[in-house]
Amino acid sequence: MRGWMLAGIRRGPGPLVGTVVASAVAATLSVAAISLVGAHTPAPAGRLAAASVVVAGDTSLTLTLGGGQDAQRESVPLPAYRGVPSSLDRQLAQVPGVATATGESGFAGGAVRPGDTDVVAVAAKRGVPADVLARRIRAALHGGQGYTIATGAARGYVANLNVAVERANGRALAEALIPPIVMISLFVLAATTALAVNLRRRRFALLRAVGATRGQVRRAILAELAVCGVAGGALGCLPGAALGALGAHALAAHQMLPAGSAAWLSPWLLAIACGTSAIVAALSGQIAARRAGRTSPAQALRETAAERKWPHPVRVALGLAAAGGAGTLTALTLGQKSPAGQLALAFPLLLVCMLSVALLGPVLVAFAAWLARPLRAAGGPSARLALAAISAQPRRTASAVIPVAMAVALVGSVYFANASIGRATAAQATSTMTAGHVISGANLTAATLRQVRALPGVRAAAGVAPVSVAATDPDLEQVSGEAVAGGPLGRVLDLGVTAGGLAAPRPGQIAVSVLEAGPGVLGVHTGSRVTVYLPDGTPYRATVSAIYARSLAFGDVLIPAAVAAGHTGAPPGFTQILVSGGTPAELAALIAHHPGLRVASRSVANAQSEQAAGQNSFGDDLILGVVASLAAVALVNTLVVATVERRRVLRLLGRVGATRGQAAAVFGWHALFVTVTGLAAGVGAGAVTLLTVTRAATGSWAPFIPLAPAAGLAAAVAALTAGAVMIPFRAMSRREPTLAGG
Amino acid sequence: MVAQIAVDTAVTSVTAAPVALEDVTKRYGRGRGAVPALDRVSMSFAAGSFTAVLGVSGSGKSTLLQCAAGLERPSSGTVRLCGAELARLSHRRQAVLRRRRVGFVFQDLNLLPELTVAENIALPLRLDHRPADRVDIELAAARVGLGGGQLRRLPAELSGGQQQRVAIARALITRPDVVFADEPTGALDPHMAAGVLRLLREAADGTTVVIVTHDPQVTRFCDRAVFLHAGRVDRVVDGPEPTVVARLLHELGERAGQTGRGDLAVLGERAGRGRY
Repeated sequence: MRGWMLAGIRRGPGPLVGTVVASAVAATLSVAAISLVGAHTPAPAGRLAAASVVVAGDTSLTLTLGGGQDAQRESVPLPAYRGVPSSLDRQLAQVPGVATATGESGFAGGAVRPGDTDVVAVAAKRGVPADVLARRIRAALHGGQGYTIATGAARGYVANLNVAVERANGRALAEALIPPIVMISLFVLAATTALAVNLRRRRFALLRAVGATRGQVRRAILAELAVCGVAGGALGCLPGAALGALGAHALAAHQMLPAGSAAWLSPWLLAIACGTSAIVAALSGQIAARRAGRTSPAQALRETAAERKWPHPVRVALGLAAAGGAGTLTALTLGQKSPAGQLALAFPLLLVCMLSVALLGPVLVAFAAWLARPLRAAGGPSARLALAAISAQPRRTASAVIPVAMAVALVGSVYFANASIGRATAAQATSTMTAGHVISGANLTAATLRQVRALPGVRAAAGVAPVSVAATDPDLEQVSGEAVAGGPLGRVLDLGVTAGGLAAPRPGQIAVSVLEAGPGVLGVHTGSRVTVYLPDGTPYRATVSAIYARSLAFGDVLIPAAVAAGHTGAPPGFTQILVSGGTPAELAALIAHHPGLRVASRSVANAQSEQAAGQNSFGDDLILGVVASLAAVALVNTLVVATVERRRVLRLLGRVGATRGQAAAVFGWHALFVTVTGLAAGVGAGAVTLLTVTRAATGSWAPFIPLAPAAGLAAAVAALTAGAVMIPFRAMSRREPTLAGG
Repeated sequence: MVAQIAVDTAVTSVTAAPVALEDVTKRYGRGRGAVPALDRVSMSFAAGSFTAVLGVSGSGKSTLLQCAAGLERPSSGTVRLCGAELARLSHRRQAVLRRRRVGFVFQDLNLLPELTVAENIALPLRLDHRPADRVDIELAAARVGLGGGQLRRLPAELSGGQQQRVAIARALITRPDVVFADEPTGALDPHMAAGVLRLLREAADGTTVVIVTHDPQVTRFCDRAVFLHAGRVDRVVDGPEPTVVARLLHELGERAGQTGRGDLAVLGERAGRGRY
């Protein structure tokens, strides 16, 4: 029977086109994300190309986290060389099969401690294979513990540490995209599938009447959906690969993937796309297939199959449970002591809110129709007809309202959360900086800082340089922060210290942001002992001396510059010196002796950092683009199918003498109702998440909602809704000769 | 010849008949608003009989067919179909019973539009995981006057009369004990309707056929006519004549007009389906 149903898809694919389109879009985005996860990152060995084996201090940091059965080894690539003793080349030269062993330094991120070299390049004697030599070297180094011993292409990763770091960052971003893509695809496909099944309910009733069991109908539909998923996967594979290739170039251009990275393009992508789409489509259709299986066979006998007006009580109960769950999750989120914990619950909260709106959609539509009663009289017969149809069939209208609400909730919460955080970051940067002047440029050293502090009018001066440290919070991750020297810091920076003091961190001390210090992250307070790992993997055990609130602009940890020196892969120094006091003239006189340095007022420096922050929003834009495209496809797809389903209404209007204009007005009122109700429901569902995220990230309940993008979102939703309703209407009305002109 | 039978006492040995209803009531709606579409109906359809069920709109004739065929569950009473008490069968067993021993012909949406004529005819066999022999399908099609050239066509390429013939062929392909037909000629012109009924009568050949209709002409092909009024069996006529049937229907129509019962039943039925 399934074979015949599938033959049916071939001959009459109409109702399933939406499912195939939704599958294709899901497959496109999944393939793009997967091809980015597997992106090929070239790492030329450069001057190590002649070496058979390259030996360096371990280029990654590996720790065992947790204890007992939960113990887990985690690893992060290091951005700086650990350095190996310069005597290592002589030791390696003794290994049998080694022709030469030469210490090499001067790589980006190279060790700067005296007596260390970055790597040792080992050349093999003629006839000794590289892997054999690597094994011998490993044995000579007592198992190679603490070293990276590389041959072949892996030598390139030792020569270019930034490649491994950027690749890990890019992969993390791509991996972060996959769960929302899958979740939203499930939502979209479930809505589309439900409509596709609903459109053919009488056919399933006929099958049931002539003896198909519930299971046979259910399995036939699932097989049908799997075929649609495979077709969608096949259609989405090539665009996905192209999108992945473009994405890899764009990420590389924004230093989120190593330069020259190329997306993973393989025939396997086709299999992955088809397989994933088929599974997602079949999963999403479970509810619709079960419902179709339960279709009463008596419906086959009815001229107009009666549709249930109200949602099934189980659906309402589940919707109320989801609403209750959203309430509980909101309380739980707000109850989280750490902002990071609140942010972690934001996406689940958004999903639960959307689920609640989806399940309670018919009830919301009925309520909105009740509110819109005054329009029945004011809007004339067309409005009366449209609203009567909506009131009579809230379930059917809900299938159109739900994707609009989803699009608004998803795009709105992601966009405005980013906007709020961006604005808060800029505001924090402005209010954090209390220094009057900022000196920047190359070769800002400790000596320069001393000279600045020695100027007569200078009250305080502090050098800052960005540094990333690895921390177990609780997973092993790189945390961005600043290495600072000089002070007192309180005179050049106002970080909003909530505990402890931040005059000038001394070696053995560390200051941590509220975001990073909270439970579930580092879980520390002032006086706590904490270990972080410097860029070359060196552990730094320190006492928390201060906890500060304003971390969006300055990072989550502050460590003394003296501690970071020699471990960052760069010569000791600063990117900026923040100066309080002093006159522009004396500062200008000082930097005149240091070519390449610039001095700027606080306002100019803030404007420059704000501009730089804007340029770094590419990752957020990418996520927003993915979410928006999925939401738009869902909206258009579902509305087109729902509008086409109303062909009978159009025919009936024509038969009773309605003009084309009157029929258009009926559909227009319907589109207006769907837009307004969808916007309201979407704002409701998205607002909960937006407020929670804003509160967690900025400490304020007031999200930043710029008028132009907000109006743009509403206009885009209105345009998509109007287009998805009125374009099919025009096409159908042209084929309806009974509609009178005018 | 018109034979009037006292309805509630006429049922004897209902269990021997392929279709038997015993004290069946079907209500639509709940509580005070509930309207009985069938009100304690007891009757049977003998093996090999060809019976028309008639009545004005809302008299309960479609509900009777649905309950008898197991498509609707009665509110109370017992329905036996092909010797099995339907209430005791699971949904799955009812489905298996329908596809093996029962055939259906509806007024519209009789055929799956995506399947060819041959595939539609063989549908019950396929559902039963039985091989659909090409020869059997051609034979079934030939019995209703469909040529081999039409077997590969899609339903949309056939006339209304041809589509009903395909539905009859599908209903008979499993050689069922009973065929239920709901207004099978409702959408056809009189000439085509007569042709379809003649075919059904000839092709049924020993199968029990129950036709729901409001067309007196249908009874020309029937052994018996059962008249429903207000959800009850009003009378049963053996060897019905169309003119007599038309007069009886007119009388029932006038009675329904006086009581408004027909409209009430329709309202009740719709209320039960949530249409108001």
